[in-house]
Amino acid sequence: MSFFDSILVSIFSMALVFLVLASLYALIQIFAKLVGIFKHEAALPVNVPAEQAEVLDEGAKGPEVSAGELRLKGVDEKTAAMIMAIISHESGIPLSELQFKSIKAIEQS
Amino acid sequence: MFIDALKTIWAESGFAAITWQQLVMIAIACVLIYLAIVKKFEPLLLLTIAFGVLLANLPLAGLMKEEIGSEQGGLLHYLYLGVKKGIYPSLIFLGIGAMTDFGPLIARPSSLFLGAAAQFGIFIAFTIANLIGFTPQEAASIGIIGGADGPTAIFTTTRLAPDLLPAIAIAAYSYMALIPMIQPPLMRLLTTKKEREVKMEQLREVSKLEKICFPIVVTIFCVLLLPSVAPLIGMLMLGNLFRESGVVERLSDTAQNALINIVTIFLGVTVGATANAERFLRPETLAIIGLGLVAFMFSTIGGLLLGKLMYKLSGGKINPLIGSAGVSAVPMAARVSQIEGQKANPGNFLLMHAMGPNVAGVIGSAVAAGILMALFG
Repeated sequence: MSFFDSILVSIFSMALVFLVLASLYALIQIFAKLVGIFKHEAALPVNVPAEQAEVLDEGAKGPEVSAGELRLKGVDEKTAAMIMAIISHESGIPLSELQFKSIKAIEQS
Repeated sequence: MFIDALKTIWAESGFAAITWQQLVMIAIACVLIYLAIVKKFEPLLLLTIAFGVLLANLPLAGLMKEEIGSEQGGLLHYLYLGVKKGIYPSLIFLGIGAMTDFGPLIARPSSLFLGAAAQFGIFIAFTIANLIGFTPQEAASIGIIGGADGPTAIFTTTRLAPDLLPAIAIAAYSYMALIPMIQPPLMRLLTTKKEREVKMEQLREVSKLEKICFPIVVTIFCVLLLPSVAPLIGMLMLGNLFRESGVVERLSDTAQNALINIVTIFLGVTVGATANAERFLRPETLAIIGLGLVAFMFSTIGGLLLGKLMYKLSGGKINPLIGSAGVSAVPMAARVSQIEGQKANPGNFLLMHAMGPNVAGVIGSAVAAGILMALFG
């Protein structure tokens, strides 16, 4: 194969990779819209991973926000990151192997 | 008589039959074992590959001996059939699918573009390999190292250039292990401090319905478009469906633990065992290792450059560091983005955002492999 041919193959293949993934992008967007339209209550309970941790911390309750599967209630992103890092460090389990379901602040009774 | 017996034992032993090339390979195996145990470079695979290299280069052991007539073949020869037939890489993908959360990708599907851009190195290495005299099949197998995906590299190589399998497998896994060293200098070189400091917005919550439909839709679409990639994408998505469906927890657990561990042992040791001195100690091996590094670097660059473009287009809302995670080494590449992001801004938490491009890279490299197999298979 000549150099020119290999350049052409590379450009064609790279374009095809983009095209396939762009099509997936479109499919995901369309599906998300459909889910949004037909299921307002789309947020069904998520599948609980094998290893999870629910961290309770005292503090004021605040608005609930979400980061993918992780639900934050009354905890800002920075605090959540610190809590996860501390748990990872203390347990000796790498952060990549831990999955957090939610982190919420609770009032002490 | 005693001396004669000793002489006979010596003459029939491996010590008398060993060649200098085999000694070199044994030394290489020991270095790889050291890197796996002491430096913890992808130990799950590097350790098994290294031990396979060691076993294959012990003379007279015949572990990779082929079956001839009624004469039995070696143990590793039979186990190697799983590599040759593309069974192990596909089963590894089943386990990866069961371990992977595609939530961050579904929440921000634009990550798919980063996963596509990070395949850039595959085609740069492919072009250079062609230029220096490799056949298109060999060049495609070498290029796929840039996908940073071991099973995909092995799967593609067994189909296109099986003779290069040991060098490509070892290069692919070694570079994956070296990601924390290869990527950060490029990340700092190609991004400004202001870009690295960007804190990204929270991802939206992804419904269970979306997560269940995702593997089904991806399988139908990708396999219809690229049938050659069906074993990889099909198994990846089956594993993910096990995970997300929530109704087959036992299967999900088996796929992501016992099965993937067993297959990793078979895959590693047999791939290593193909690295006999005759096949491995060739100038081509050095070229493959060099091209593999080029592929990795350009894949990282591709992801970062598109990340920078997305930073501009989004008005500074996307941190370009997540682009380098588009190479599919999961989760190490995402972790590197997280570390670099936190170095620039201690309040930065990019891990979850980088997981989107990271898992998109798995799909992207499988798609790239499918295209190359369709063109040259």
